[in-house]
Amino acid sequence: MFKILSRTFTQHMKEPVRVVVTGGSGQIAYSLLFRIASGSLLGEHQPVILQIYDLPHMQSALKGVVMEISDGAFPLVHEIIASDTPSTVYADADYAFLVGAKPRGPGMERGDLLKQNGEIFVKVGQDLDKFAKKTVKVLAVGNPVNTNALIAMSNAPSIPKENFTAMTRLDHNRALCQLATYLNTEVHNIEKLVIWGNHSPTMFPDLTYTTLHNQKIKTKIDHIWYEKEFIPTVQQRGTAIIAARKASSAASAASAAVDHVRDWALGSNGQWVSMAVPSDLYNGEYGIPIGLIFSYPIVCANGSYQLVKDLKIDEFQHNKLRITVNELLKEKEAVVDLIRK
Amino acid sequence: MSVVKVGVTGAAGQIGYSILPMICSGQMLGADTKIDLALLDIPQCEDALRGVAMEISDSAFPLLNSLKYGSDPREILRDLDVIIFLGGFPRKAGMERKELLQRNMNIFKEQGAALNEVGKPTTLCLVVANPANTNCLVLSHHAPNIPKKNFTAMTRLDHNRASFQIANKVGALTIDVKNVAIWGNHSSTQYPDVNHGTVRGGAIRPAVNDDEWLNGEFISCVQKRGAAIIAARKLSSAMSAAKAAVDHVRDWFLGTKEGEWVSMGVISDGSYGIDAGLCYSFPCTCVNKEWHIVQGLDINEFSRDKMNLTKQELTEERDEAFSA
Repeated sequence: MFKILSRTFTQHMKEPVRVVVTGGSGQIAYSLLFRIASGSLLGEHQPVILQIYDLPHMQSALKGVVMEISDGAFPLVHEIIASDTPSTVYADADYAFLVGAKPRGPGMERGDLLKQNGEIFVKVGQDLDKFAKKTVKVLAVGNPVNTNALIAMSNAPSIPKENFTAMTRLDHNRALCQLATYLNTEVHNIEKLVIWGNHSPTMFPDLTYTTLHNQKIKTKIDHIWYEKEFIPTVQQRGTAIIAARKASSAASAASAAVDHVRDWALGSNGQWVSMAVPSDLYNGEYGIPIGLIFSYPIVCANGSYQLVKDLKIDEFQHNKLRITVNELLKEKEAVVDLIRK
Repeated sequence: MSVVKVGVTGAAGQIGYSILPMICSGQMLGADTKIDLALLDIPQCEDALRGVAMEISDSAFPLLNSLKYGSDPREILRDLDVIIFLGGFPRKAGMERKELLQRNMNIFKEQGAALNEVGKPTTLCLVVANPANTNCLVLSHHAPNIPKKNFTAMTRLDHNRASFQIANKVGALTIDVKNVAIWGNHSSTQYPDVNHGTVRGGAIRPAVNDDEWLNGEFISCVQKRGAAIIAARKLSSAMSAAKAAVDHVRDWFLGTKEGEWVSMGVISDGSYGIDAGLCYSFPCTCVNKEWHIVQGLDINEFSRDKMNLTKQELTEERDEAFSA
């Protein structure tokens, strides 16, 4: 474990918050840590203490990342802690980005991926339960994201369930980008786009309520484009980027992670965002069973989030929702022994 | 909201990948300035460039006004306000310095000529690709329509690294360290000078209280930091280089703070006995999108020797580059 400890001379800034990033020596963390350090997450008056985790054999690479953050001369970074010891990394955490996960190896079945990551996230949940603040806001980024978040949540019984979320903001941002191109407009003119369900090929990007300049667009878009081009493009965007870059979409994933937690912490200004959150909070709303982490339309304010309620769901939507619900139920079944009752 | 046109060459590379989100999220030109982004890379990197453009679009940055990309400098570098030149020829194992200079010269000659045709006379240029100082000279030489003062080379990374080393030594924050100065070439002959700097408002030398370290290990540590990061990460220091480039452009464009200076490689006007026409790093303040070398700093013998050493290297590089 090594530490770069600094004392501040300037007294006018707020008290620093502790931000955990796991998988600290990887590609997404590399992009994410520098965005957090720059103030993209909580604004330019909020100092941060970075608490970065990686496995013992990655500590040398992690040391290089810490050196670079130091060389970045960021006014907001008051301390950098890098360690493979959970009691150090998760201590008093205010925010936790769970990026570290086991990637799919050659020949690995989805069931293996679920189980191996499940075991990691059992431990993550237990460590958060023991060491983090009870108010910690948690975002699971490492895949399979919804089920990983569920496992962590169930193994952290002293932390409120609503503090555990999973990231579908990348799909949301990707969908916005595709739609903006199709409508020949800019992303900020589009509102009320929804990503429902699992962060997987079954995720459902829904334009039923979407507006352009506050006018609903559903009747104005070609349904063939919507079903045959828009939905598959959003679902397969990750693959398309790997094909072009020969590397995965780290920067845009990091950007989405920042957007998700920033809006959660600072509010989404009345805008709908997509967040995968515990369905336990909503008692079967929209026909989604309890016991899942499911992406919904959400509005954030005052440091918490609310479901957008009373939306009418038609048959087309209902079928799409059912597919992604069923996939999540199957995933949960594969790791049922890791979910603490 | 104002809109600024920003170009990045070598945009498909490692530093490009790091710098583009920083630019688009407002770190470079502030939260009230929209960006028209133009990305250039060589045809061989077409797919990777498209991939990074896709990711920038997918990030839905509110400040990104437009995005274009391609491999034709005459199309991409047209009418820009700021250009960051990341693209250069990397040093390969066994490559002689002469060949490295030659290959980069060819790149910057071509881009200079393109810039001369399509650039604004107010375009601000930052050269990052190594050898940065000499590439900057070549670029400027081939774009005579644009004033020499618009061409700079990056030593901000060395400046930030030096500030951190001092902060770390005394247990302060990096932002508590002000006014270090990087003189000379962005190479192993650079001279990080703490004689005029402060930490927590007090002079650096007495605060550190270890002249042996300041005159020895500190200097070599800053000079070799890049290699140390490669040894740890097995990859080069893309993010911190990107951050330094953003800092350099931000301070040039928006101005330095009262009482503070930064380090920039600029085309010398003869200050401090550095031959006019060399691209040499000096301590500079910035106002109204112009840099001014900080004048009147006391240069002792130790500093003079170091400054001459790096001047000599730059003179040799320049002569080699322009003799071909």
